[in-house]
Amino acid sequence: MSTLDPLAGQRPAPAPYNFTQPFWDGARERKLLLQYDPDAGKCQFYPRPISVFSGRRNLEWREASGRGTVYTYTVSHKAPAPFKNVSPFVIVTVELPEGVRIMTNLINCPPDRVKIGMPVRLAWVKAGDMNFPVFEPDP
Amino acid sequence: MNDRDIAIIGYYESKIELKSGRHVYDLAGEAMAGAVAHAGIDKSEIDGFAVSSCFSDAGNPFYAPVLASYLGLELDWCQITDLGGASASGNVARAAAAIRAGMCDTVLVLAADAQSSENKGAIGAFRSEFQYPVGIMGPPGYFGLLSRRYDHQYGLDLKALGKLAVTQRNHALMNDKACEKLRRPLTVEEYLASPMISDPIRMLDCVMVCDGASALLVTTTARARELGARKMVHPIGYGERINHLEAEQCPDITAVGHSIAGARALKAAGLTPAQIQSFHPYDDFLIAIVLQLEQLGFCNIGRGCRFVMEHDLSHRGDLPLNTGGGQISAGQAGLAGGAHNLVEAVRQLFGEAGARQVQRRDNAMVTGIGWIPYGRNWGSSTVLILEAAR
Repeated sequence: MSTLDPLAGQRPAPAPYNFTQPFWDGARERKLLLQYDPDAGKCQFYPRPISVFSGRRNLEWREASGRGTVYTYTVSHKAPAPFKNVSPFVIVTVELPEGVRIMTNLINCPPDRVKIGMPVRLAWVKAGDMNFPVFEPDP
Repeated sequence: MNDRDIAIIGYYESKIELKSGRHVYDLAGEAMAGAVAHAGIDKSEIDGFAVSSCFSDAGNPFYAPVLASYLGLELDWCQITDLGGASASGNVARAAAAIRAGMCDTVLVLAADAQSSENKGAIGAFRSEFQYPVGIMGPPGYFGLLSRRYDHQYGLDLKALGKLAVTQRNHALMNDKACEKLRRPLTVEEYLASPMISDPIRMLDCVMVCDGASALLVTTTARARELGARKMVHPIGYGERINHLEAEQCPDITAVGHSIAGARALKAAGLTPAQIQSFHPYDDFLIAIVLQLEQLGFCNIGRGCRFVMEHDLSHRGDLPLNTGGGQISAGQAGLAGGAHNLVEAVRQLFGEAGARQVQRRDNAMVTGIGWIPYGRNWGSSTVLILEAAR
């Protein structure tokens, strides 16, 4: 089965910080890890050096379910360097049941099929030599 | 802030140019010389300096004092503000605060950038990890996400956006400081037909990055009188909101910080939105104007497009809007772009706007927007209300 992903093979590798390394270690095992603040009982994304809720550093990493819905999207007709010659592709903000949003690509979905509220599920692509989380339609 | 004890006594705006090839220090020098000449004061009056950060010299960790050195300034107070397009309006408030705190008397508020000629910016942060691999086309991509959500919640009337584009373009045609490339007439049909960048953001929704500089001179009203200032403008209300709803992980992204900043500025000024006589909102994208009209209280939430269709926003209209053309039709002088709308408001209140002079010029509202957070709208929101001295 072919994959619909106009950015395939072109994504630059992310540049982790020391405090975000666990996220990328999880990605290597295809696990989407979110920071969880047990005092607030909430997750946060993107990874930070502190809880945005409490201001304390009492944070754990928890694996997300991999489910989500499209909060918003845009069909991009251009991509900045280092991308070259991409056909229109979909950027989505996905809302996870864990209470955070992730901005990423929606693959395996023609641009005219994406809709706000549609269910999506986690998938993994390569960004440089690293695994990067994207989403695809959840049939 | 409404004691009218602080006064803007002079201003200058350079021609906005695409790829001018000029260094940012040169643009800054032109702006300072122009503001000093316009105010009719001696350079030695300046003892405070508030400058906006820029892309062109972004690698310089000592930008403010180095630039001040190039400008020949000896200072008792020196400030760099890195709120992006909100820096210039923010610096008027910071200058007023520093003057009131007794740190200095007369502040040069300056914004210069030659981003289209030289860009040393390296924002990094979450972008390097979570944005660059996604291929999002920078701000147009983010505003595509924002516009799509707005359309889903309230409906986006493209004719209203087209009307904003045409209104601002007509103003730029009357502004000889506007970028020449943009000074040609525009129709709503041309707006609708402009190439899609990041659906629903079209090319004519966006600013074009240029080079340029602006400057203002801020002092006490008492000192302004001693100096024989013929005209002055008082800042009478200011509000600022940075990283609105930051701790909320799933906020309504159509809710922007101007709701907080605007309420604070209007309260200080003792005004309601209906009493604002001209409106000069920061305009990196047309939809930003719609959102600000709503969140500042000019109309109800979700009714911004209808408000645009129901009002005459030209310089002769009931709410003149971005009478200099705005950044979208005058060009965005990099991170100095936020000073374009500010200087235009001051120019109008001085009664020096020529063919595009508004008739009611007792007050004006200026706003700023700066930086784009992860998956949201914008990070810095400022609102400054100005009043012409009677």
